Amino acid sequence: MTDEITPELFEHLVDLAAFAFNPEAAEYLRRELNKQLKAIQQLEAVPLDGDIPLASHGVPYTKQSRPDLRSDTWQPCENPEEILEQAPQVEDGYIIVPDIPHTKLD
Amino acid sequence: MTDYETVIGLETHIQLNTTTKIFCGCKADSWEEPPNTNICPVCTGLPGVLPVLNKAAVHKGALLAAAMHSEIRLTSFFDRKNYFYPDLPKGYQISQYDMAIGKGGFMDLPMPDGDTRRINIEKLHLEEDAGKTKYEHGRRYIDFNRCGVPLVEMVTGPDLRSADEAAQYLIRLRQLLRWLGVSEANMEKGHLRCDANVSIREVGSTELNTKTEIKNVNSIEAVRAAINKEIDRQTALVDSGGRVEAWTLDWDDAHNRLNKMRSKETEADYRYFREPDLLSLELTESWREKVVAELPELPLARRARFETEYDLPEYDADILTGDKPLSEYFEAAVEAYAGDPKVVSNWIMNEILRMLNDLGVSADALTLKPEHLASVLKMVDEGKINSATGKSLLVKVQDSGKAPDVIVREEGLAQVSDDSALLAVIEKILSKNPEEVGSYRDGKTGLFGWFMGQVMRETRGKADPQLTRELLQKQLDGE
Amino acid sequence: MTIIDQSAYAIAKKVRSGELSAVEVLETALERIAAVDGRPGSLDGGSNPEDESKVHAFITLTKDRARKQAESVDARIKAGEDAGPLAGVPVTVKDIFCVRGTPSTAASRILANFTAPYTATPVSRLEGAGAVTLGKVNLDEFTYGSSTESSAFQPSTRNPWETNRVPGGSSGGSTASVAAGEAPLSLGTDTAGSIRQPAAFCGVVGLKPTYGRVSRYGLIAFGSSLDCPGPIARDVRDTALMLSVMAGADPHDSTAAAVPVPDYMASLEKGVKGLRIGLSPDYMQITFPDPETGEIERQTLPKEIREATLRAAEVLADQGAEIVEDIPMPNMVYGIPVYFVVSRVEAASNLHRFDGVKYGYRAASDYRDLREMYRVTRAEGFGLQPKLRILMGMYVSAAQYSEQYYARALRVRSLIRADFEAAFDPDGEYRVDALLTPTTPTTAFKLADIYGDSVLMQYADQLTVPANHAGIPGISIPGGIDADGLPIGVQLLAPDFKEETLFQIGHTFESATADDAWRKIKPQVLRED
Repeated sequence: MTDEITPELFEHLVDLAAFAFNPEAAEYLRRELNKQLKAIQQLEAVPLDGDIPLASHGVPYTKQSRPDLRSDTWQPCENPEEILEQAPQVEDGYIIVPDIPHTKLD
Repeated sequence: MTDYETVIGLETHIQLNTTTKIFCGCKADSWEEPPNTNICPVCTGLPGVLPVLNKAAVHKGALLAAAMHSEIRLTSFFDRKNYFYPDLPKGYQISQYDMAIGKGGFMDLPMPDGDTRRINIEKLHLEEDAGKTKYEHGRRYIDFNRCGVPLVEMVTGPDLRSADEAAQYLIRLRQLLRWLGVSEANMEKGHLRCDANVSIREVGSTELNTKTEIKNVNSIEAVRAAINKEIDRQTALVDSGGRVEAWTLDWDDAHNRLNKMRSKETEADYRYFREPDLLSLELTESWREKVVAELPELPLARRARFETEYDLPEYDADILTGDKPLSEYFEAAVEAYAGDPKVVSNWIMNEILRMLNDLGVSADALTLKPEHLASVLKMVDEGKINSATGKSLLVKVQDSGKAPDVIVREEGLAQVSDDSALLAVIEKILSKNPEEVGSYRDGKTGLFGWFMGQVMRETRGKADPQLTRELLQKQLDGE
Repeated sequence: MTIIDQSAYAIAKKVRSGELSAVEVLETALERIAAVDGRPGSLDGGSNPEDESKVHAFITLTKDRARKQAESVDARIKAGEDAGPLAGVPVTVKDIFCVRGTPSTAASRILANFTAPYTATPVSRLEGAGAVTLGKVNLDEFTYGSSTESSAFQPSTRNPWETNRVPGGSSGGSTASVAAGEAPLSLGTDTAGSIRQPAAFCGVVGLKPTYGRVSRYGLIAFGSSLDCPGPIARDVRDTALMLSVMAGADPHDSTAAAVPVPDYMASLEKGVKGLRIGLSPDYMQITFPDPETGEIERQTLPKEIREATLRAAEVLADQGAEIVEDIPMPNMVYGIPVYFVVSRVEAASNLHRFDGVKYGYRAASDYRDLREMYRVTRAEGFGLQPKLRILMGMYVSAAQYSEQYYARALRVRSLIRADFEAAFDPDGEYRVDALLTPTTPTTAFKLADIYGDSVLMQYADQLTVPANHAGIPGISIPGGIDADGLPIGVQLLAPDFKEETLFQIGHTFESATADDAWRKIKPQVLRED
């Protein structure tokens, strides 16, 4: 079993993803990720010559099948208040969150 | 003491003046509106929403690219830039990374010594704006009205060498953006935002040292002040044996100081990848040609042309090409006047500019049209009115909307150039003031001006000054 | 036959003609739900012995809303207006779609309290055609899974054929609700097989349309370049009917193709004479990771699944199709590895927006700062499966690995697509109109059997995921019942935007096997005993 994702690297990923785990959960997840990597590593054996394109989408889009770009006309949303209602904390129309840490320069 | 050279690169974000946002149909301009009213599911990043690209944003972005001598790529891609921030609702910004709409480019910046310096453009791409956060009482207040407004990000190479040059670049950029009609470029309203990357190195070195990034500079003066402060700080630090670290600094305009924001080392890896919810942006060769053909004569080119074509000094040409409407006003007036362009230039630089300042409008909004100005100038040339009358006539035309000759007729402003009428006035004044006449003839020639003033007063300013001088001289000399 | 067990096609006809009222139809649907569904999934979950014999397809039953819709359909009929091709037909909607005014949860705690302020395009098209939305049905959390077990809303859906087995996933609630006769139609999504696999497990028809055939606006995103909303029904005709209402360009979706929508209903009766249908040895074997070493091993398909597939080929041959054997599809075996990379990169990014700021769950505790709020919210709000996908996505798209993993995977994706292009190429060696394969490597497994092994679970999609990479359409239709009484699905795959070929072949197969004994067997929950 590959241990490509070390506990340190795992912690870094957790940080990037804005998560937090207890040690059992962390270990389970790290193990599963490494198992998945083993499956992924099959791809390394696939012969790829230089000009095989990256397929961001499976289906190619042609000039005919592409929808047109949007015209620059105002289309007001009919219920912006309903959107704001979904926010956990609102005051005077603003969405409230705690502050972001930053330090002053001496 | 070592001699240091400053190396500055500027990263600008330009808000395009389209009607709607880049990926949804909300308004692009919501400056005065209450928070979170100019929003929709797309620009608030609700689950399940998808971006749909605004064709006007593409057009304006391409126009700007062409004006910056960038190559407009026929195929370009959008990419996701992933990071967490409360004003970024999707947790990623849709931007362009390696295959952006603009490739390369430069601006030839005029230097004070008459040379130009080529400022290279390393990035020119389209992206969406984030919302706004304000900080109060330990909490952040978020407003998404601005989220999704179309931006062009332009990044220069490390080609600027002083805070003043940086300020110059921004002034020229702002002029260009307004000239093209792609942005209102008002820095105080956030239409043009700037981050400055600053580093120093020993004079003669070609290496690039660690740079710091200054954010939140909201005016050209703030850019100048912040960069100068940072240069001083880095110089002092290096001189005392310290090392510059890659900090991000926040400019506090109220206190005229820099605050450290975060260390660049811990900056998130943005994990760019192609935006799967958008197809590649495909432009045709003929579309691209049309955009390039659409480019108006640009400010610096027009300035140069005014210098040669109208034989104007650089100073005049620079002011007259300050903005496009003014330059067009000048040319229309010159054409209508068909006389010495320098005369037109003088009147515009003085009278018209003052009027524009007072009214707070641009030249194309004046009721006083270029033809009117030309007409006034011609009347002065012909002696029909004097120059003082001419100046006040401009204001009357602006206020009333009537043609100058109509006003002259209606108000009887025509200059008094009739010899006999003038002579009568002069004789009247001389006879009423025998002591002054005596003083003058005794040698107090300075009184001549006083006599001129009296004649002007008597004729309510309409006396032809030239003729009056002649006749008055003759009378006083006793001929 | 009770009303609710009739086809959507028949119901709509009768409602439009006035023979049935939409409200009547709704009542029978609600009765069936009350009889077989048991309690809906909820965050508090818990367990109850009663649960075990019920289906639990629903998260939210929207009775009042449905009633209003049904009444409005009836009013239009009464006024002599056209109430639409799906007039009065009850529909369940996978709770991955936003429907305005309803909880739209993605089966996740992080959206449990989210009421959508807008409606997804596929849903509004269905409702615009007269369909009556019964409510939102259960799924794997954020569609991450192949069994529906990962839902935060428990009890998760059971297979109506045997309620101690999974219905498949992630559209398990959708396929189970149709199999249990709660509604004739359901709207699901297919990213790696999430419509076709549960359709096979539940003995119903499930279509993954061509990518871009149906708008994704309102579909809470997982794999943006892979997700396809699609129809689930008990027969091919109903599937075609539902697709014809939903398909087509949408100004809200830049990837919804501007390709004209053909008359799908007209293709049904065309038969298969002269059609070339391919079989590929690469699809007649399966691969699984060894539980100890993780090494990938090849195995033969379970006998009954293999036989059902070959039998389907025989039936179609009898109906006049030409079966073309030995079509090489060598790159399909990389489908799961590519999927592990591509879908995770997209998923991690798509789930960035769940941060407790604007909607959904925000952790209740006192946090010092924003960063902590993000962590606690996401740690508490997301279940295990989303966390796994996000972490993997972060890893394989990180700058230093992205060339090695992400770029490589996208290239292999091109190879997977190329296999299909070669098979379908009208000027190529094989020139097939469609491929016939089994849908799944096994029949429905027991609850808790596989959950916990993320690799094994993903490999349940190995026969379906290549179509997602390639973008082509695929359908799973019931092909038999195995000795354990569990449904077996067979899959047909066609070129881009050729859903009509799938309908043509599927309908022919259905008609030709209409009297087969296995079609008379009912799911456990519907048996009279």
